[in-house]
Formats: sequence, structure tokens, C-alpha cells
Amino acid sequence: MTGARVAAAILRKDLLLDLRLGDRLGQMWVFAALVIVLMSITLPAVNDETRAWVPALLWTIALLASLLGLARSLQTERDDGAIQQLVQVPCDRGWVFLGKVAANWLALFALLLWIALLSALFLDVAWTRAGFEMIGLALLGSLGLAALGTLLATLASSSRFAQFLLPVLLFPLMLPILVWASLLTRDLLGGQISAAPLWGVLALYDWIFLLIGYFTFNAILED
Amino acid sequence: MEAFWIRSARIWGVLALTALAVWLGMVVFYAPVEKVQGVVQKIFYAHVPNSLPAYLGFGLTALGGLLFLITRRESYDRLAQAGAEVGVVFCTLIVVTGPIWAKPVWGHWWVWDLRLTATLVLWFIYLAYLFLRAFAYGSDATKTFASVYGIAGIIAVPFVKFAVELAKGQTMHPDDPAKAGLPAEMQFTLMAGFIAYLLVFAYFLSRRLEIAKLEADLQERLDP
Repeated sequence: MTGARVAAAILRKDLLLDLRLGDRLGQMWVFAALVIVLMSITLPAVNDETRAWVPALLWTIALLASLLGLARSLQTERDDGAIQQLVQVPCDRGWVFLGKVAANWLALFALLLWIALLSALFLDVAWTRAGFEMIGLALLGSLGLAALGTLLATLASSSRFAQFLLPVLLFPLMLPILVWASLLTRDLLGGQISAAPLWGVLALYDWIFLLIGYFTFNAILED
Repeated sequence: MEAFWIRSARIWGVLALTALAVWLGMVVFYAPVEKVQGVVQKIFYAHVPNSLPAYLGFGLTALGGLLFLITRRESYDRLAQAGAEVGVVFCTLIVVTGPIWAKPVWGHWWVWDLRLTATLVLWFIYLAYLFLRAFAYGSDATKTFASVYGIAGIIAVPFVKFAVELAKGQTMHPDDPAKAGLPAEMQFTLMAGFIAYLLVFAYFLSRRLEIAKLEADLQERLDP
């Protein structure tokens, strides 16, 4: 069995579980909706001055909501004792990581679409002005979050305080993605042409953490 | 390498104490009082030299983690842990002494400035590393996981700095002392601070390595 097939099998299994059980996606979506509604009620109405804050607010909500899904990334395997089977995959275990990242990537991209819809409804965010580049940004941002989140959720799961540890590990390392994604979203919503190096550096950051995860997952699963 | 550090702990201790006494004497009696900021400026001598030991400690964490993943030798894991703990001590001193200087000079304890934010995030990253080690079940997996996080942390640092630079633009933080054109007395005092702090770092590191080695030996006797 080639590595790519293993990754595809894990992606398929995780997607089926997400679609059939719906609890992981449901928790993230309900949490995001509640926070956006609370923000819409408690914050003053969005005007030209405060509009610049909205992208950072939305990316932060996505980060917080993603914790609920990422924390359960390897939970099913741990609960069912299926980790032993993952360890015995007949290929480099980095492919297991890539399969898990792909499943989380799709789940987080769906979460971003959900947040975009809610923010258009409640916060008057005009996503049509941002154009198709916004979809590219959502894909890059969610890929980085999926790569870092999958890796760190696996590290945190070894702890007695996994729920506390995941945000503590994730937030400082997520800062660059959060900053760049917020800046690019602000530029896109403002109809500005955003700086090309920002896109490149965001893609590079995603790529580095995909590589770190791929090369270290062997040792992580072994232990 | 580990044995060298452990054997030389006392020497580092004596050198560090001597250097600290010389540095403190220079801060109080030799370095002039700055005309604009007054005596508050002397915090600078206790603040700036923390940076080098902090970066060195975090560098050793990443290096030790990488070597542990490759060779699986326990001594590298102990080096990584000791580097992080000592690095966090010095980074904490940066984060604490900075605001003590900033309040009378800038009028605020903290500003979301490029250098301050990047240092704070660096501190959070390695504090998280220590949490990961402290709250894990104490198995071999902890060493592997901590190694991965230590490597990821050091790689993220330049990106964090770049990200904050893009978001915040200019910095209020004073320029690099080497470029700032300080009077000779101030430069010598600062240099003495760097030497003293590096010697304290070497002493702390060697003592921490010694404790870690003793813990490992004891564990081996209890659980052969």
C-alpha cells in the first residue's frame, strides 16, 4: 500500500465519521455561531472606523472554534484503541499525518465558510468585494491551522491536561498565520491589492509545518 | 559533553559570582547617570544582557531536541530541557525588567511594539514547552513530543518577528546598543553585563544538567 493510498484512506474514514456523526463539525459550527451572535449584540454597530477590526475578530473566532475539532483529531483512534493499527501502517507514518491534516483541512475550510456566511448576515461583511482571492486565502489559512493543529493536538493528547495544553501550545505558533490572514483579509475586503510576499510567506509557513509534521510523526506515533 | 558541563559547574559558579560583583560595581560607581532619563536608565544594564542567554538556551533546546530525535540519546533530551528552563528564566527577566524601565520613560508599563510582542510570544512558546513536559505522563513519548515542539518553536521565532513587524510597523524600542553610539563607560558596563550573564547562564545550565543526570540515574536504579 503506497503512502498516498494510506493518506487517502484516513481522509475518507475521517470524512465519513464527520459526516455520519456530525458532532465534531457541529460543535465547531455552534460555537462559532454563538460567539458571532454574542459579538454582534455586545459590540457597537460596525462602521467605517471599526470595520478594520472585523477580519482579525473573525480569524480569532475561527481559531477558538477550531480547538474543539482539533482536540478530537486523534481521539477516535485513541478511544477505540486503533492507534496500534495506525502505527503498523505499511508505509512511512508521515502519510498518516498528511491524511489527518487533509481531513482537518476540509473541516476547517468548511468552518471558515460558515463563519463567512454568519459574518455576512450579522456583521454586514461584503465578501463579494474580496473576490476569489479570499477563497485562496481561506484555503491557505485553514491549511496552516490544520497542519499546526494536527501536530500539536497529537502532542497535547499525551498530557493529563490536553484541553488546557492545546491552546497553550497552538496560540503562540499560530500568531504569524493569524496576523497575515487578518492583514490580507482586510486588504481584500478594502479592494486593495495585497502584497505578494505576504501570500508567499503564509504558504511557506504552512509548508514548513507540514514538513515538520511529516518527518516527526514517525517518532511521535512510535512512542 | 554533558560530563564536562557537570564537572565544571563550580568553576562557572565562581566565575559568575566574580563577574556579577564586578558588573554591579560598574553599574553603581562607574557608569554615568544618563542626562535625560536619569538613574532609571541603569535598568538597561540589567535588561539588555538577558537576551543572549535566553536565545542561547532556546537554541540549545532546539539543537538538543533534534539530536535526541536522531540519536535517541537521553543526554540530548536533558540538554534540551535544561536549555529551555534556563532560557525561560532569562526571558522572564527581559519581560519583567523591560516594563520597569518603560513606565517612567514611555509612560506605559507595556506597549504592543514589535520587539516587545515578539519577545512575549517567544516567552509563551517556551513556557508552553515547559508545560508540555510538566503535564505529560512522564513517558518516553514526552521526550519525543517535547523535542518536536522545541524544534517547531525555534523555527517559528523569525516568522513571529516578521509577522509582528508587518502588523505593527515601527518600533519604539531603543536601537541595538552596538549601533546606538553609547559613551565608552556605558559600553564597557554593558559588556561586563553580557559576560556576567553568560557566566550565570553557564552555571545554571551545568547545575540543571547535573540535577537531570542525578534524576535519570536514580530512576534507572529504581526501575532497572
